[in-house]
Amino acid sequence: MIKIQIHKNLHGINKDTDLDVNIEIKSGEFLAISGKSGSGKTTLLRILAGLEKAKGKIEVNGEIWLDEKNSLIPQKRGIGFVFQDYALFENMSVLQNLLFVKKDINLASHLLQITELSALKNRSTKTLSGGQKQRVSLCRAMMNRPKLLLLDEPLSALDSEMRAKLQTEILSLHKEFKTTTIMVSHDPSEIYKLSSRVLILDNGKIIKDGTAKKVLLKTSGSQKFSFSGELLEIKKVDVIFIAIVSIGQQLVEVVINESEAKCLKIGQTVNLSTKAFSPSISY
Amino acid sequence: MNKMSAKITDIQSLNNLNLVSFDFNGISLSMVSLDLNENIKIGINVTLSAKATNVAIAKNFNGELSYSNQIKAKISSINNGQILSSIKAELNNTILESIITFKSCKRMDLQVGDDILLLIKASELSMLADF
Repeated sequence: MIKIQIHKNLHGINKDTDLDVNIEIKSGEFLAISGKSGSGKTTLLRILAGLEKAKGKIEVNGEIWLDEKNSLIPQKRGIGFVFQDYALFENMSVLQNLLFVKKDINLASHLLQITELSALKNRSTKTLSGGQKQRVSLCRAMMNRPKLLLLDEPLSALDSEMRAKLQTEILSLHKEFKTTTIMVSHDPSEIYKLSSRVLILDNGKIIKDGTAKKVLLKTSGSQKFSFSGELLEIKKVDVIFIAIVSIGQQLVEVVINESEAKCLKIGQTVNLSTKAFSPSISY
Repeated sequence: MNKMSAKITDIQSLNNLNLVSFDFNGISLSMVSLDLNENIKIGINVTLSAKATNVAIAKNFNGELSYSNQIKAKISSINNGQILSSIKAELNNTILESIITFKSCKRMDLQVGDDILLLIKASELSMLADF
């Protein structure tokens, strides 16, 4: 069990806010944290790692990492940390990067096998692709069998195919080592696949806490297929109207009637929704 | 969007699939839905919606239809375009619109004042998020 009760002033670009987090995390839980930039996600991870000061208390399996008097130094916390940039020692081989953390050749070989890196173990990390480097970072973070694994948007620099592959590997590692893990991520599919619990942080406060489906499924009444977008144009055709809405990187068209067309303003944020029964899926 | 004020009369659930029944001015309506919001209970009033393009029309009909929602109404206005027609029907101060092809409107010889049946599938009826 990990108990986190911390408070810290966040200096934002526009205004200062307070990071106030009071949560308990079960051993072996895979927790995802999502939220806008500046909401305090990375700061929270850095506080847990001991890289940043904060007021409050952090207790991990009965061991005090932080209280009014003491703050355990990062090296003694038993933490694995993977950042978006790989932070590897480039003058060392893949295997040396792992052994630098702990001289445990059996564990290193096992980790490299799970992540399909065995064949590359003697390669210099300089010569690796982004996906390979991130797998090495992940293995290195597991070398001291951490009590807590912290992943700060570990896959956001990778393409979608490599992301999917690494998600599977993170899941295999989590199943085998049962390491309590906290991952910052913006990707709903990643959060759904990996996490057993999601927190949404907003202005330093937890505004949602639950399973991925409960927290991230956008609904509108009984309609489960819901997206918000910007209304770009309304065109009249015959007796109907067609609204053009941009959602993410795409444009979609929606047929509306006259009374709906009258109530809408170009440029406004609108919610498009339909029942889960209507959309079809193709590939 | 067609809106109807109705009261929930029954909820039948199987895992996260639900069949919800409503009373809309004495007419029984039903909707299938995945997970329901926790506030949805028998006895509460909700607003139902159905897109005009998902509402079909029958006239002088004799036979059986699979449509769970069959609403008797009287045509109050017809707006014919070149391809589509907007048919509005009124019942108990609620105006419901159906958009059908102009061809069908002509074939059925729909006229203002006609008694018709508005047809909506249970999967095309929704509850709006106003609870």
